[in-house]
Amino acid sequence: MPATLDLSDGDLARAISARGAASAEAAESELYRRFAPRVRLYGLRHLRSEDAARDLVQQVMLLTIEKLRGGAVRDADQVASFVLGVSRTMAKDLNRTEWRREKLRDAFLPVSMVDVPAGDAMLDVDRLEACLGRLADRERAVVLLTFYAERTGNEVSKELRVTEGHVRVIRHRAIERLRECMTSVEGVQ
Amino acid sequence: MSGCLAPIPDETLLDYWARDLPDGDEMHRVEEHLFACGDCSARLEHLAALGTGLAVLAREGRVSGMVSRTLINKLQRDGVRVRMYSLSPGETVPCAVFPGDDLIVACLRADFSGVETVTLSVTGPGGSALARYDDVPVLQASGEVFWVNPAARIQQMPTMRLELSLASADASRTEIGTYVLEHSASTPRA
Repeated sequence: MPATLDLSDGDLARAISARGAASAEAAESELYRRFAPRVRLYGLRHLRSEDAARDLVQQVMLLTIEKLRGGAVRDADQVASFVLGVSRTMAKDLNRTEWRREKLRDAFLPVSMVDVPAGDAMLDVDRLEACLGRLADRERAVVLLTFYAERTGNEVSKELRVTEGHVRVIRHRAIERLRECMTSVEGVQ
Repeated sequence: MSGCLAPIPDETLLDYWARDLPDGDEMHRVEEHLFACGDCSARLEHLAALGTGLAVLAREGRVSGMVSRTLINKLQRDGVRVRMYSLSPGETVPCAVFPGDDLIVACLRADFSGVETVTLSVTGPGGSALARYDDVPVLQASGEVFWVNPAARIQQMPTMRLELSLASADASRTEIGTYVLEHSASTPRA
């Protein structure tokens, strides 16, 4: 039996469905480790709230593991699509109804699996401030309107009086420059 | 888990995160890929972290340069304590940083008729150049542009006279307005 880290998503799903096997719990943990960050990102993208995204992770992963345990996922190799489908449905529900979080949480998973793992991407905010200061004014305006004010390219284009295509070009260039600055070994002056 | 054979292009990933990818087939394809691919979801994670970092900086008032009214309104709604000094052309206004300030804003008013972008030049004592912002878009209807600085930075400045000059950013470099901020240094607490 290979280590769970080396298993494909489908193999993990099969191991969970098999239950009884000693490896099932490890497979559940690995499946959670793999997919929880992806569901969180989906939640952030569609719900625009860290709290709502964390709620979504808990609900989606609880339901996924429950369905896998019950053998209700027909094609284990398509578990990623299954998780996405659940995410879509639950994100819509989250916008409409209150959650039954506590009930589901208590029913299925140990506490250690309830906390959503933080993203791997830790950021030096002080450095980012310096990098932001090095951008051209228009680049800085575009990234702040996009990532802070949450304006679409079309909205930014009206605000800055440039075409939407130009906004995308500026935004892409600005992000590249920020990435380069953040990873530069020379540091930020 | 590594070595994605068909990575999502950076531009597409950025459009997706910025909600500029229409809700349709392409977005669904991107999401299917993101859920199945550890590499691309990790790339999105880094992009998201960058976006979160930018939002954190803004909410802490740690932004500088020329910004729009939209951004200032959003900052104020989010609880950033903004102190704004409004100046008309030719005006001299005393300014200072007070305890609790997060962001200092100079609102420069002018008649921007026929002007699409401007250049702001800031000079200090003896005409020393302190800052210059080129190609700043203006909304003619609003008749104002905003220069922002973190209060923590301004607090470090000694008492000085700042001269601000707005000119059109086109080849004519037509002067639009000059303004003076008489900055008083913060008094150290006893």
